[in-house]
Amino acid sequence: MSGRFGPRSAVIAGVAMTPQGDLSDRTTESVYWDVVKAAVADAGLRLSDVDGLIGDAAEGLGLRGALPASVTADMVGRPLRFHSVTSVGAAASAAGVGLAVMAVEQGLADVVIVPTVAAGKAKGYVGGDRDAAVAAMAMLGTPYEWLWGTTRVADYAVIAQRHMHEYGTTSEQLAEIAVAQRRGAVLQPLSAMGKKGEISVDDVLTSKLIAEPLRLLDSCIVNQGAGCVVVAAEERLDRDRPKVRLIGYGQAHGYLDPCSAPSLTTFAGGIAADQAFERAGVGRAEIDVVGMSDHFTINVLIGLEDAGFCQKGEGGAFVEGGALAFDGRLPTNTAGGFLSCSHAGLCGLFTLIEVVEQLRGTAGPRQVADARLGYVHGMGGVFQNHFAAVLARD
Amino acid sequence: MSLNEKFLPPDDMPEFHKPFWEALKAHEFRVQSCTDCGTLRHVPKEICPACGSQGVDWTRVSGKGSVYTYTVIHRGPTPAYQADAPYVIAHVELEEGPRVISNLIGVDPAAVRIGMPVEVVFEDAADGWTLYKFRPVG
Repeated sequence: MSGRFGPRSAVIAGVAMTPQGDLSDRTTESVYWDVVKAAVADAGLRLSDVDGLIGDAAEGLGLRGALPASVTADMVGRPLRFHSVTSVGAAASAAGVGLAVMAVEQGLADVVIVPTVAAGKAKGYVGGDRDAAVAAMAMLGTPYEWLWGTTRVADYAVIAQRHMHEYGTTSEQLAEIAVAQRRGAVLQPLSAMGKKGEISVDDVLTSKLIAEPLRLLDSCIVNQGAGCVVVAAEERLDRDRPKVRLIGYGQAHGYLDPCSAPSLTTFAGGIAADQAFERAGVGRAEIDVVGMSDHFTINVLIGLEDAGFCQKGEGGAFVEGGALAFDGRLPTNTAGGFLSCSHAGLCGLFTLIEVVEQLRGTAGPRQVADARLGYVHGMGGVFQNHFAAVLARD
Repeated sequence: MSLNEKFLPPDDMPEFHKPFWEALKAHEFRVQSCTDCGTLRHVPKEICPACGSQGVDWTRVSGKGSVYTYTVIHRGPTPAYQADAPYVIAHVELEEGPRVISNLIGVDPAAVRIGMPVEVVFEDAADGWTLYKFRPVG
């Protein structure tokens, strides 16, 4: 069987994630290799089958962080045939899976791992320290932004404020997103926030203001965790295992400078989505489950609009009434997303892992009935880098 | 960089940004204007996105405009900013077109609205830098 990107067919064959939250009592290396081995085993393969790596695998891997492909070769006991890094922030892992599928379908590798890890006693963001993360993330823009005491929350808050002005979107509508995602997190035992229980719209609206109009419960968490996805050539896999394929893929990269962006309510995501849906040959209405980067609630709302699941400006009404919960009209981020499941490392990977679980029918009590088609959208920066993928179960 | 002091512009700023900061020292707000197509741009960029020209003049603009969007920050990035909270960051659309980000000062944060008319004010800061902020007009 030939694939969409080359003469062979690739399968998203294995996924694994650790409990998300505090992994400071573990070493980075031990968590990393645990999760890589678990994902490879989930694919029915062995570590020595791995011949490709996407990612830098470096953060927190200490002295072995440099030359990540060779670090991996040391551990799997064979030279790799393919390595690439991505530099698109939180979207890197989701982006990497597209690259892995292309490499396998072109015959450049047979078994590619896409890992991410944040664990151990590292300081700052990797260590899950909120103050350090907020200070570090505030400096990601240019001096023309951070001189004034902006933060990552504020970078999205000005977008939310403008969306409210142009389209009448309300804080209650944004809160619906956080509420729906937490319902899923409660049913994902590996999630960071599930054990805190469900939340209400009122809980969100009375949580601490961070940067108006966004509040604490509109915001992603700061946590540790690890995950890994394995992409493998179909011919290497057991016939009887569930197969999830990437059938559509597209990228788009918009303006870095918010002063130059022609709009602060419409971004480049639609360009990525259009390419992915065109290649997949399916329509938005056929999608059963969505994974959308959700650093803040507003990302989901605008992301769904830009990706074409509703008209621009109608996102507020679209998410009302629990529409995005696992039992809603368009189940989205059903394990909790960055808000309630995990925002660790290259966190786009966790968005993807949940959609794969849903398509395999292994999502347990939060399972979306008969999910066959999924859409994954990874964002890097502030709505800047977009990676869209359509996934299908055989 | 001490977290107990507010940030200043970086000393190693690329050459093509410097005329902007030099003009501020004279309490003038200038933006790049393309010598080929006349398009104004801020923040400084190496090339005109409208026509591809690298030719640049620095045009003095009024510093008057209106609030395009804003946020009231309750949780600043470092202790120096946290001490000021709540404070306002606004994206201001200048009368001449370009948008500029800075603090909106001299206003009750609860009274800020999109569309509110504002004007630039200059603030001489440490180490010879002059910063630009906005305040409501009238």
